[in-house]
Formats: sequence, C-alpha cells, structure tokens
Amino acid sequence: MSPVVEALRRRGYELQQLPCPELAFAGVRRWWAVYEQYDTPAYRAHCRQLAQAIAPLIEQHLRHGDEVILIGLDGSPSTGVRFTSSKPDWGGRPNRPEDDWEIVPRRGVWIEELEAELSRRGLPALPATGWALDMGRFDEAGSRADLEQFLDSCDGAPGSRREDSSSQ
Amino acid sequence: MSGDARGWRIALVPDRLINPARRARATLPDVLRVLDASGYGVLQLPRSGKQNLLLAVIADQIAEYSHHGYAVVAVGVRGASDGLHWRRLSALLRQRRVARPPRHLIRAQRGAAAEGQRLADFLARYDLPVEEQRRWRV
Repeated sequence: MSPVVEALRRRGYELQQLPCPELAFAGVRRWWAVYEQYDTPAYRAHCRQLAQAIAPLIEQHLRHGDEVILIGLDGSPSTGVRFTSSKPDWGGRPNRPEDDWEIVPRRGVWIEELEAELSRRGLPALPATGWALDMGRFDEAGSRADLEQFLDSCDGAPGSRREDSSSQ
Repeated sequence: MSGDARGWRIALVPDRLINPARRARATLPDVLRVLDASGYGVLQLPRSGKQNLLLAVIADQIAEYSHHGYAVVAVGVRGASDGLHWRRLSALLRQRRVARPPRHLIRAQRGAAAEGQRLADFLARYDLPVEEQRRWRV
C-alpha cells in the first residue's frame, strides 16, 4: 500500500481524496506539463470549481474540530505544495527532454486555488506538505522520513483527530 | 506512452469503507489493502448528503477512465445505502454516455476475512475485453 496511506492510517487519520484536476481537465492521455502551461484562466476556473466541490467536506471537518492536514504531490504543476515544476518557455510540440524543467519552491496551480477557496470561506491555512514523487528523482526513504517529520510536527496541533466515524 | 506504469484499474469506494467506523472494523475487510494487492487505484465517494457538485466531478473522472481503457468497478456495502450514491451516480454516468460499472457489495455479517477473499476474487475476475486492453494499454 502507498507509504503515505500507511503512515496516515497508522496515526489515526481519516483519508479524504482530492480530485485530480489535470485528469478532469486534460484527460488521462495528457502530455506532461509545467506550472506555466497550466497557469491559465480556464484551468484556474476549473480548479476553482473542483475546490468548491471539495471545500465543504474540509470545512465540515474543521468546524467539527478535527485536525486537517493537506498532502500534495511535490513537483507537480498542479498538486505541488512545497515545490512545483517550472519552465517558462515550454510550449508547442512536446519534444523536450523529459528532465528539461526546473523545480521551484512554490505551490502548484490546484493547491493555490484550493487554498484560496478555503480562505474565502474564512478557514485557517492547513498544515501542508508534499510527497516528492514528481521531483525527477524519487527518494522513497527520504520522502518517508520527511513525511514522518511533518506528521510529528502536526501532533498536538489545534483540533483533535477523530477516532470514529459515527456520522456515516 | 511506452514505459507507462499505470495500473489501468480503478475502484469506486465509499468513504465508509475507506474510513470505517471503529465498531465496523471487525466485520469489514481492509478494502484499501485488498484493492492495492489486486492492482486497483481508488476513487473515493463522499459520505451521504448533498454532494451534487462533487459527484459530478467524480462522474467526469469515471467517464475519462472508462473512455480510455481503464477497468472501473464499484465496491459498496450491502444494506439500505451502499455508500456509492448509486442512483445519482448512475444518472450522471448516463449523461456522460458511460455504462454503470460492475458493482460488488460487501456483506458485513459474513466476516472480514471471507469478504476480503470474495472481493479479491471479484477483482481478479473482472477486466475489459482483450481487444480494449490492446487498444489502450500500450
């Protein structure tokens, strides 16, 4: 099972999957892309619509006093939390070498729009990190350690993790 | 798409199976573990309630997967509500010209181990016709 899911379940977190904005927008057969290619009004509007669909669930948890954290996919142009992929001159035919992009410290487009929607609802910023799967070279051991450190830092944060799902 | 590492299998799973209530854990199989062992990815269905916008987003994703060579199944819980928003989801899929995926219902009273095996058997049996697999899964 995914190490992220394992780590979260071991610590008693419930899981709420976020929709994949790129899948719904550009499909499963999309080419790879960088932040600048998705930074368009149409894609941002799409992300805002997805954020409006998922934000009520997040809001419900926060209003209930649950601890809510956000885990993205670092390096992704959409889902990156700490890092996204960037190459301002990418465009046209996808004939560039696979590793011809740069990793820069910023949110992906989807995470930016999701956080903006939560903010519009008057909700606090969520503690957030990214699983570094989309960074070029994936170091699973390092990523696991990174995630555990992040989760350690969340323990004791305001709110309480729910132990039961009695509302189902 | 050579070297594509995708699994080509997606299961629709209700929140109550992904985050089971503590009292239900003894009677329900660990569905995420069974799906993972069977090579399936997951699309999570929200809890009951008014979730029209999110269900439409999920239906779009199912349509995209279904139109491009993915085997899509639904795994629910037998009872008054299977957790899959089945009626609403069926209508949304119909609008998108997508057939309802095959549905497997967990029977909690039969025990977690037996139901886990029954789910694994269901997942192993199902896939798209070979021609469809060849068309997409290059």
